[in-house]
Amino acid sequence: MLSIVRITLKGIFRDRIFQGIMALSLFFVFIPSVASLSMRQVTELSTTLSLSLISFIMLLLAVFLGATSIWKDIERRYTFSVLSLPVSRSTYLVGRFLGIAIFMLIAALFLGSAAIVSIKIASLTYPPARPLLWFAIITSIVFDALKYIIVVAVSMTLATVSTSFFLPVFGAISIFMAGTVTQQVFDYLHTPSAQAAVSAAIRKAALVLYYLLPNLGGFDLKVHAIYAIPLNTQGLLLTGVYFLAYTGIVMSVGALLFARREMK
Amino acid sequence: MKAIETTGLCKQFKGKKMTRVDALKSLDLQIEKGEVFGFLGPNGAGKSTTIKLIMGLLKPTAGTASIMGKDSSTTDSRRQVGFLPENPAFYDYLSAEEYITFVGSQFSMESSLLKRRTEDVLKRLDLWEARKRPMRGYSKGMVQRVGLAQTLVHDPDVYILDEPMSGLDPIGRALVKDIILDLKRRGKCVFFSTHITDDVEKVCDRVGVIVKGSLVAVDRVENIMRSGVEGYLVHLRFQDSASRNFAGIEPLRTAGSTSEFYVSCSAFNAFMGEVNAAGVEVALVETKRRDLEDFFLSLVNKP
Ligand SMILES: Nc1ncnc2c1ncn2[C@@H]1O[C@H](COP(=O)(O)OP(=O)(O)O)[C@@H](O)[C@H]1O
Ligand SMILES: [Mg+2]
Repeated sequence: MLSIVRITLKGIFRDRIFQGIMALSLFFVFIPSVASLSMRQVTELSTTLSLSLISFIMLLLAVFLGATSIWKDIERRYTFSVLSLPVSRSTYLVGRFLGIAIFMLIAALFLGSAAIVSIKIASLTYPPARPLLWFAIITSIVFDALKYIIVVAVSMTLATVSTSFFLPVFGAISIFMAGTVTQQVFDYLHTPSAQAAVSAAIRKAALVLYYLLPNLGGFDLKVHAIYAIPLNTQGLLLTGVYFLAYTGIVMSVGALLFARREMK
Repeated sequence: MKAIETTGLCKQFKGKKMTRVDALKSLDLQIEKGEVFGFLGPNGAGKSTTIKLIMGLLKPTAGTASIMGKDSSTTDSRRQVGFLPENPAFYDYLSAEEYITFVGSQFSMESSLLKRRTEDVLKRLDLWEARKRPMRGYSKGMVQRVGLAQTLVHDPDVYILDEPMSGLDPIGRALVKDIILDLKRRGKCVFFSTHITDDVEKVCDRVGVIVKGSLVAVDRVENIMRSGVEGYLVHLRFQDSASRNFAGIEPLRTAGSTSEFYVSCSAFNAFMGEVNAAGVEVALVETKRRDLEDFFLSLVNKP
């Protein structure tokens, strides 16, 4: 498994598209000066922009890496040679996934460092109203990375059954978008007004989706990072456990589907 | 235990518009250890389908396949085999050296042995100069040679090669034949598919012919060659212009003092007896046979 993780990482670092996406991180250089144009709350704005840029880059990376890795292996017929080695389908899939997950963490470290530098510069020139909470900023970036690792797991699992890259790419994007609002929808459905307005059948369907789709709302700690609000440790722990359970289940389903797939 | 065994192996593909394609119809094959087996068939006969079933890349519709006694559906069955896919493709961002090392590590090779073996096979397949370049820049023939190198690196007992000579120039083909003969000398089992009879004639112990998903013949190559003997072309050199007619057979043609006779198998002994009795010098005897190609074509074209 380790050698599959290793070649996956090699493959990512040597890929042109990856290099292009990472070039977007050049925008960090401009963040302090762009934020200073607002004249007010420059540090808060810098933090917002930095975290949004990280999110955007990591979403691109997650969709691009998750959706294309297995699909490309099949499309380019690499699977004939690799899957005829004494490696099980599930080992292969999980090795590929771990390679990408580790890469996402490396990317978070790299992008996070760049973000911290640009936030620091902004805060030195325009001291913020509240002192910066570095721990919240770093934790927010880490949980952002975990969120996108879930997106990777989902798109890889879609790729195990798909013959084109449409399903993994657009499936992952839709599930990501749905996942960010599922908590809100769930909460709304439990308000008295919704109980009256929405039919029981739709409420049931929404409930099924709520448990099926990833609940990504809990991974968004941007508000804490921007306004230096202390974090709820217990909530974070729960989110961490949720992350492990959800990726574990999704990857198990993926492994099961991949094992049944025929290499034609 | 057989090196490779299939029993009642069937594969049906779903084609377009709900049609079904019987790519393989109940194949029974037994390949011994140490045997070189040629799997001969025209395009679309089901060779690659059979090989993918044996390698566990496809799931049989019915029947079973195994390698060294281990069922093809298990990861274990692939421990003792080197496999070359048809028109192979490998991670093109890796170099040949990196890929061969990766393959060796999948077979849990110890690292100093792997390093030595990697060097051996890269040199053997003439990839040593190019070993550090990404495979993206390799020619088709070079990729094919990488494919062969990665079957050899871990020195397995069984080799399954899907059209190993395709995409190679004559030098490459000769090299592949050489490698197969070398594996045979070392007691390895090689199962390879091809649609070129000449490849089979030179290196195989046995040959199986598959046509439209059915195995139509399996035999030792020498039996096919022997059964294919139809007669002899005998060149005789005469001192004088004596009778040039033995056992009632007239010469095909005469040039100066030599004449050529076509003698069927059944007439050969009588003919040679009269030639000896007449004291005529025998310059040359050629065997006239249907070759493997004719044998193959006669099977393929059978209604
Ligand atoms: N994935 C597939 N879907 C449908 N039919 C297939 C598929 N793969 C192979 N076939 C059909 O199965 C038959 C055997 O193909 P194949 O094993 O590739 O032949 P060979 O390797 O002997 O040239 C052919 O008729 C081919 O069209
Ligand atoms: Mg073929």
